[in-house]
Amino acid sequence: MNLSVFLKHQWLNFWRARNANKSLAIQIILGVFYLLIFLEIALVGIALPFILKEKLPNTNPISIYTSYLIYYFLIGLLARFQLQELPSLSIQPYLSQNIQRKYMLRFLNARSLFHYINFLPLFVFIPFTIVVVAPIYGTISAFCFFIALFSLVFYNHFLNMYIKRKTINNAGFFFAVLVFIAALKGLDYLKLLSFEKASSSLFITILNYPILCLIPIALAIFIFIVNNQYLKSHLYIEELVSENKKKESKNFTFLNRLGDIGEMIALDLKLIFRNKRPKSLVVLSAVLLLYGFLFYPKYLATGNFSMLFFFALLITGIFISNYGQFLFAWQSSHFDGMMTYNTNMHQYIKAKFSLFLTVCSLQFLIASFYGLMSWRLLPIQLAAYLYSVGVNSFVTIYVSTFNYRYLDLRKSASMNFQGIGAMQWFQSLIITFGPALVFYLLDHFAGFWYAILGVSLPGLAGLIFYESIINWLVSQFKIRKHKILEGFRER
Amino acid sequence: MIKITNLRKSYNGVDAVNIDQLEIHPGEVIGLVGNNGAGKTTLFRLLLDLIRRNEGEILSKGNSITQSEDWKSYTAAYIDEGFLIDYLTPEEFFYFVGKLNQLSKADVDDFLSSYQVFFDEAILNKGKYIRDFSKGNQFKIGIIAALLGNPELLILDEPFANLDPSTQLRLVDMIKSMAMERKMCIIVSSHDINHVSEVSSRILLMEKGTIIKDIVGGESAYAEMVDYFKIR
Repeated sequence: MNLSVFLKHQWLNFWRARNANKSLAIQIILGVFYLLIFLEIALVGIALPFILKEKLPNTNPISIYTSYLIYYFLIGLLARFQLQELPSLSIQPYLSQNIQRKYMLRFLNARSLFHYINFLPLFVFIPFTIVVVAPIYGTISAFCFFIALFSLVFYNHFLNMYIKRKTINNAGFFFAVLVFIAALKGLDYLKLLSFEKASSSLFITILNYPILCLIPIALAIFIFIVNNQYLKSHLYIEELVSENKKKESKNFTFLNRLGDIGEMIALDLKLIFRNKRPKSLVVLSAVLLLYGFLFYPKYLATGNFSMLFFFALLITGIFISNYGQFLFAWQSSHFDGMMTYNTNMHQYIKAKFSLFLTVCSLQFLIASFYGLMSWRLLPIQLAAYLYSVGVNSFVTIYVSTFNYRYLDLRKSASMNFQGIGAMQWFQSLIITFGPALVFYLLDHFAGFWYAILGVSLPGLAGLIFYESIINWLVSQFKIRKHKILEGFRER
Repeated sequence: MIKITNLRKSYNGVDAVNIDQLEIHPGEVIGLVGNNGAGKTTLFRLLLDLIRRNEGEILSKGNSITQSEDWKSYTAAYIDEGFLIDYLTPEEFFYFVGKLNQLSKADVDDFLSSYQVFFDEAILNKGKYIRDFSKGNQFKIGIIAALLGNPELLILDEPFANLDPSTQLRLVDMIKSMAMERKMCIIVSSHDINHVSEVSSRILLMEKGTIIKDIVGGESAYAEMVDYFKIR
């Protein structure tokens, strides 16, 4: 059994995965999307030196470029921590076969390398090395420089694998590195110690003495061996897949008052906090609350109210589109159960709406502190909030009744397009750009307060007539219930 | 309890379930037997309104199960892991299902303590999510959760296949006593003709979606089934 057989299986696994070949259109869209990302990064890689030259004509682009490499690799390590997963489980079917351990190790190591985060640097390093470095330092130096950079990517890769295998406390390590980077940058900023200079002189030394690229190569080989040794002695599934912490039962007492609906909301909250993919989406919603600091001042200064409204919509209502895009699909693994437990569909739908209402109200309350920036933000955010809970929440529930794709909760969210169909793209579009456009038009032709009223009123109406809207949604849900169930059962 | 008329469900033109008439009464333990692909699980899913039928009607206590959701209050089922919320601990799951059946935490605790033998100390207070349990233990969790609401109709798909020998025997006793004492109607599918002829008061033999034999349970049923399956 050699490596190529393993990798061929993985290749088949990639293409034959359920959902993978469901719809050609989606695949094409995703393909274009990936291509655009890679092209963009490559463009940045090529354009960067020219931009540097134009903005800072008196400096050497290579020294600036290399001065940031230290941060690039440190931040890269952080990113890997969040985005890369151990491919341990993929060897499970082989463990019982007549295959020698060393082949399995080779496979595990090789398999882990196939991750987009390892390919992205190529798009930055190669154009830079060819366009900028080679003409100045010659081909051999440039080549060694590139090899040195790439060895460091390797080093980062296997270091991350090693740490992830070794430690359970991933979060602790993540924050340690974060603080470390902040400290370096802080010292740089205060001009106490210059790590940027150190970084730049380090890499320029390699360019001057190409033989020194052996050092990063040695580093990469070293960490590879360490990682390999560790793997060799821990080639048991239960040791490869860590996490044996005791799980606590939780009870949200404040939700008990709401009866069955409270129970369903508690279920959703547990779903969010105990599964990777929804958790990262919701963390993203919380981070988006900070967008105000980034965008509000700019648009307040220019008096661009429709852009303010657009961001207010994101800040107060992003949870609806983030969590709502898979509203029922999150529960796809136990949807059979959800439809047979002693509860009815009316309660089920109402619980979903109540969840939106609760979380958005919380986001709105927190966001109200932006009112300290300018009083104008208060009516804007209120309007956005009303629209989010009074219109978008219902639209999202309605659109969700068309989502028949199974979703695996345990996979991480980054670059994970499982369960995404044309509906999700459409949904995000109508939810954010629709009301922003309405606001813009009203603001432009009638005035600020008309715009506020224009988006608040539909929201208010939705809240007032929520019972009948929910009844209608239930009837819609009933029509497609069997289709949803059937789709979710197809894994 | 259940009345089925002209029920038909087909996939790609092939009938998966095709039943002209079937009536099931309270207190009956129905053993559903048949080789793979006979339509047992499909029939269960139809009974729970989890798949759309092509034709026919299923009445539960006189009400169509697609029109009204009343059947949910007295029907419980465990077919596969799709009936478990796998990111909850077993306790949380029991409290959740209990709450939906108007049982307080204390009620649920009482209930669970009466089933301690069935659990064999493998389920409660383990500090694990349901997804981390073995398949057999997940099955136990599912069965107990189904019993929580004290249902009048209980549907179990292949319960004997996934349980350890001790639990299989306990389940046989439990099913018998529940049908006797509480007049519970229980439908069990199984490949184990031994167990099934022991627990069932009535055995339905399925083949290609239709019920080809409707026999009274017991030792004669066992012999009849052996005859049938030997020729297959």
